[in-house]
Amino acid sequence: MPPHLPPGRPTPFKQGRLRGVLQRLVLALLVLCTAGPAMARFSDPRDTLVIAVPSDPSSMDPGTNKAEPIGSEIILNVFDTLVAWKPPAFQQIEGRLASDWAVSADGRTISFTLRPGLQFHDGTPCDAQAVKFSLERAKAINPYMRQSLGYIEAISVVDALRLEIRLTQPTAVFLAFLAQPQAAIVSPTAVRKYGNHFERHPVGTGPFVFRSHQPDTSVVLDRNPAYFRGPARLQRLIYRVIPDASTRKLELKYGGVDVGHQSGQLASMAGEDVAGLRRDPRIDVIEMPSQIIRQLDFNNSKPDSPVHDLRVRWALSLAVDYRGLIDGVLAGLADRVYGPLPTANWAFDARLRQTAPSYDPAAARRLLAEAGYPPGRLRLVMYTFQGSLWASVATFLQANFADVGVHITVQQTEFPSLRALHTAGQFDIGLEGRQPWHNDPEAHIAIGYLSSLASTAMTFRMPPDAELDGLILQAQGQGSQPERKVLYDRIQQTLVARVPAVYLFSNRVIVFKRRNVHGLAISSAPPVSEYWSVYKTADGAGAAQP
Amino acid sequence: MSRLLVVRFLSMLPVLGLVLVIVFSMARLIPGDPAVTLLGPGATDVQIAALRTQLNLDGSLPAQFVSYLRQLAQGDLGVSLKSGRPVAQEILQRLPATLELSLLATFIALLVGIPLGVWAAVRQERAADHALRVLSLAGVSMPAFLIALILQLLFGIALGWLPVSGRLSPFDITDTVTGFAVLDGLLTGDYAAAWDALRHLLLPSLVLAAFLSAVLLRFVRNSMSEVLGQDYIRTARAKGMGEGRVLFVHGLRNALVPALTIVGLNFAQMLGGAILTETVFSWPGIGRYMFDAIRNRDYPVIQGTTLLFALIFMLTSLLVDVLHALADPRIRRGPGA
Repeated sequence: MPPHLPPGRPTPFKQGRLRGVLQRLVLALLVLCTAGPAMARFSDPRDTLVIAVPSDPSSMDPGTNKAEPIGSEIILNVFDTLVAWKPPAFQQIEGRLASDWAVSADGRTISFTLRPGLQFHDGTPCDAQAVKFSLERAKAINPYMRQSLGYIEAISVVDALRLEIRLTQPTAVFLAFLAQPQAAIVSPTAVRKYGNHFERHPVGTGPFVFRSHQPDTSVVLDRNPAYFRGPARLQRLIYRVIPDASTRKLELKYGGVDVGHQSGQLASMAGEDVAGLRRDPRIDVIEMPSQIIRQLDFNNSKPDSPVHDLRVRWALSLAVDYRGLIDGVLAGLADRVYGPLPTANWAFDARLRQTAPSYDPAAARRLLAEAGYPPGRLRLVMYTFQGSLWASVATFLQANFADVGVHITVQQTEFPSLRALHTAGQFDIGLEGRQPWHNDPEAHIAIGYLSSLASTAMTFRMPPDAELDGLILQAQGQGSQPERKVLYDRIQQTLVARVPAVYLFSNRVIVFKRRNVHGLAISSAPPVSEYWSVYKTADGAGAAQP
Repeated sequence: MSRLLVVRFLSMLPVLGLVLVIVFSMARLIPGDPAVTLLGPGATDVQIAALRTQLNLDGSLPAQFVSYLRQLAQGDLGVSLKSGRPVAQEILQRLPATLELSLLATFIALLVGIPLGVWAAVRQERAADHALRVLSLAGVSMPAFLIALILQLLFGIALGWLPVSGRLSPFDITDTVTGFAVLDGLLTGDYAAAWDALRHLLLPSLVLAAFLSAVLLRFVRNSMSEVLGQDYIRTARAKGMGEGRVLFVHGLRNALVPALTIVGLNFAQMLGGAILTETVFSWPGIGRYMFDAIRNRDYPVIQGTTLLFALIFMLTSLLVDVLHALADPRIRRGPGA
């Protein structure tokens, strides 16, 4: 009995009004909760696909999107490009807005013919003038496209359905540039109408029409009934912004979302979570090889750097337990990379599987000793990006290198700082990555190794080599795929022998989908999906809440 | 009362000045040229010059400060580097979501914490008191994300009663009126939408309320048991006053005065500090907005939200003082009264 109450008096709570209030409260909460399943729906989940994304799109305008994946995927579904990679393999280019094209004998002029009757969502015609307008606009205002569309010397409109693009030099890869979301064709009328706000009111010709964007919440796209390839089977696409990876997983299991992407960057869902989803009978996990490469860069252009010595670079590439890294740290969700091109690239030289460095710590120690670095002598700082998975990879490499007597200090920095260090050449080794946005080998080779680009953030640091440059330019220029493949084979053999980097692994593109979602076409570069062909069946819970 | 208000308001001014100086200094404390650092390698001179102007980095420091104050006076918090939209507009867009969440969480916390605190005080050192002590300890010490996960798994997955995350069902694409989702549903007569919004609101509110309820419970229990030992309570009971009136009119009113500060400060903290809860529940509020801004080094947004939080804290403190004064005549009449 509390000391302040008179003896024999019953405690007030037993008979007081408080109990009644609490009872009513609990009852109200129960009613509130249990009444849930009877709720009305607002649009039909069977015709609506909900896609989980970690953040808002940075821009939905091809003119300002800088290869950001969420915005790029929305662009691919709202707009069309002149040409596109052909699903499901995404290894060949096919016509999209263009029905046909021809390359001139000198390889510098490409003549396009557009499909007749194309219309933007605002009802205006999508003609040759609109194509010219869009490409010139992207070239002028999108820094990401400045280099690739910089090959355009002039665009001339022949008539409403025909145009010619004159290039500054023969460029076999130019069609791949035109297939990127950033080269999509925009409605000139809408661009003039909305001005700088066009990215919030994107108007294209694509299978879906932009409906609304609520910051930090969702982007809603509706079916375009007049789409030239036929209307999409889905009535509506909803991009739901769910920043937390574990919530995305729960929503996928729960049915609150239908599709979720494992981001290609090393910062998304952990391997064990992917394994957990794989065991879920309601969910399909789709894995595809990608064009992404993760590697340990050497600064071979700094003569006083220990890694200027080929033996040191070769030794470090022998010190890495590649299988252990992929299976142990990356839960088997990546593929080994043997050279400058990932194995999924059409130009990959399969001989490299045998000749590329393999795990041999004893040989690594011998080579280091030969180079004047007995165990404990060589100390290096390894720069890398922030994020737990980058840290895990860096720590694994640190342990591998420690096994051969090399002491590594890991320094994680923010993206701009690391890029700045790289550009300034102020590093010895850096754990970095490359994620090209098209499937042509040029995306890795020219940007990575051409000495005229040697001061950019994406170029490997190595002494200039005129012969190699010549080969790269030749492969980039004209020729059929087999002709170019011969050149790229030579380039790959040359590069691997010089060890500009320890080529580590290529993340797989991983997409999670509910089992009742069908017809998904997933591109590996860029790792985005088109939803025109997607449909849902009634089986399974789908997007309907239980 | 009005004197108290004026004094409290004037005492806020130096704090406000300090906050303004700190917020102003943020972008200027980045080593080197902030515009170059923020844009990274490859930026052109034109881009750098444009960002310098956008960040108000041209001219001398005092001139920049004056121009900053002038902008603030016009309600201009700058433009987000990420989205290119006015920060003030983006904050206004997200504020209702956070406000809605904080209000319901505080309401739940009051509804749970106060009665349970009173009960624990009345049943001191008995089983109920011990059980509530364990409960409040759990509420205070369990991290928000863990409570969130448990609630999501229980109510979202196992029972399927409530949505796991989001502010509205993704299938509800109705336009907003006030930005308060529940209110919008009621105003537009779309009761299904209001109901949907309320169901989405429950789990994150419960997570936010857990900590405050636990703190309130302990606080009310302690101050209530202290008050119940006072002579005037004994007198009231001796006069034959009903126990409910003794507890809730004479006891609770006095026990609640110190609890007001806790509620006020926690409410202010919820408005700015619900980052984890907002992230886990995909709640499009201010906490997440600020978190994203910090991650993206979006300085105008960081500055704008910091200033907003400082203002919220100051205004909440003022409000708590006013409520104190209303509840306690000694504060209202000033020292010596």
